[in-house]
Amino acid sequence: MLLLSGHCDQCGTCIAVCPADALMLTESLLSIDHQACTLCGLCVNICPIGALELKNEA
Amino acid sequence: MKRDWDIIVVGGGPAGIFAALEAVKSGASVLLFERKREMGVPVRCGEAVGKVDFCSYMDVDPRWISSEVNTFIMVLPNGKEVKLKSNIYEGYIINRDLFEYDMAARAAEQGTCIRMRCNVRELLKNAAGEICGVKVEERGELQEYYAKVLIAADGVESRLARQAEIDSVLKMKDIEPCVQATVSGVDIPEKALYLYVGTCYAPGGYAWVFPKANRCANVGLGINGKYSEKNRNAESYLRDFLKRFFPDAAVQRYIAAGVPVTTNLKVLSSPNFLIAGDAGHMVNPLNGGGITHAIKSGILAGKAAGEACKKPEKMQAFFDHYEKSIYRNFGKNHESQYRIKELVYQMSDEEYNRIGEEVLKIDIRKRSFLAVFRQVVKQHPGFLADVMRAFAGI
Repeated sequence: MLLLSGHCDQCGTCIAVCPADALMLTESLLSIDHQACTLCGLCVNICPIGALELKNEA
Repeated sequence: MKRDWDIIVVGGGPAGIFAALEAVKSGASVLLFERKREMGVPVRCGEAVGKVDFCSYMDVDPRWISSEVNTFIMVLPNGKEVKLKSNIYEGYIINRDLFEYDMAARAAEQGTCIRMRCNVRELLKNAAGEICGVKVEERGELQEYYAKVLIAADGVESRLARQAEIDSVLKMKDIEPCVQATVSGVDIPEKALYLYVGTCYAPGGYAWVFPKANRCANVGLGINGKYSEKNRNAESYLRDFLKRFFPDAAVQRYIAAGVPVTTNLKVLSSPNFLIAGDAGHMVNPLNGGGITHAIKSGILAGKAAGEACKKPEKMQAFFDHYEKSIYRNFGKNHESQYRIKELVYQMSDEEYNRIGEEVLKIDIRKRSFLAVFRQVVKQHPGFLADVMRAFAGI
C-alpha cells in the first residue's frame, strides 16, 4: 500500500508523474486513492523529500 | 454565489492571475479558484527572472524586487568559477510572494472574483460531452460552477488536462524534483546567479545560489532520477550542498517542488478549454525558469478566452491562434533547449571541468554563453545545429 511516511510538502511532483491519476492535493493534504493506485512506485522515487513509501499490507 | 460565468480560471499563480487580468479586460465575467489559503505562498520558486522580460508585462512594484543580478557564474565540479558577463544576464531575484499577492489584488480590483480554499476536483461535461464547468470542493462541500471557457492554470500538479483527455503525465526523466532553502546571514561575493554544475552537486540537474536582499539567498537544486544515485532524493543532495558551502547559515524557508523539464504540451486546448503555465509544461527545460512563461501564456490564454466568449463560433480559430502563439513565443525554443539539456546533463564531471578550463582561457569580455557552448560543441559536434537554434531564440 502507498503511504505517506514523512512530512508531505504538498508540492505535487508525485501527481505529475502518477499514471493512474490516484493522487490529488486538497487544501492542505495529499490524498491517495488506494483503489486507483497500481503500486508502481514512481511517486516514491520522484518525491523530492522522500515522504512516500510502499509498504506491504500487514 | 453566482453559478454561471463567462470564464473560470483554475489556479491563482502567475498564469492564472494574468489570464484573469486579461480576460476581464474583454468584459467577460471571470471567476478564479485557488486551492490554498493564501496567494503567493508557499514560494515554490528560485525567484530569478530576466529584468527586461519581467518588466514588460506590468508595472513592477519596487517591493517585489529583492535584489538585482548582472552576472552569471558557473561553478565547476572542481570548484573553479567561470564568470560570464553580459547584459543579457541582467535579472531580478524577486519576492514572489509579494508579487503574486499584489497581482491577485490588482486582478480582483479589475473585476475578477477570487475564491480561496477551493479545490477543483473535476471537469463537468454537458450532454454533448463538451466541457462546461467544474466540480469544486469548498470547505468540505461539493459545488458546481459553469463557464463558457475554462482555463487550467493549476500548475505542475494539474489533473484537469488529463480529464480533458490531453496526456499530461510526465515521464520520470522529464521532471526534476527540487528542494530549496532560503538561508540568512550569508555573504555572496557578487551580484550573480551562481549555478553549480556536475554530478557531484546535483546529478542530472544543477544547484543554484541566488542572492536576495539582507544577506539572504535562495539555495536549491534539482536532480534527475536517471542520473542520481539509488535511494537518494533531492533533499539529501541539498543537505550535502548546504553542509559544504553554507555550514553556518540559518534556514528560514525550506520548500520542495517539481519542475517540468520537457517540451510544452503539444495540445494546449480543446473545446471550451485552455491550458496555461506549468500545467502545460511551459518551463525552459534547460534552466527550469517558468515565471515569465506562465505570465505570457496566461495573458494569451485570457485573451483567447475573452475573444471566444464574444464570438463562440470562432472559438476554434482563437484557440488555434493561442497554441501557435505559445509555440512561436517559446515552445519552439524549448524544443532546442530540451535537446541541449539531454546533452549537458549526461556530461561527466571531468567533461565539465575540461570545458570550463577551456572557457576560462577566453578573455572575460568575450566569454559569453555562446562561447561556453562552442566548447561543448567541440566535444559533441552533432549538437551544433540545436545549439545554434537555441541561441537564435534567446
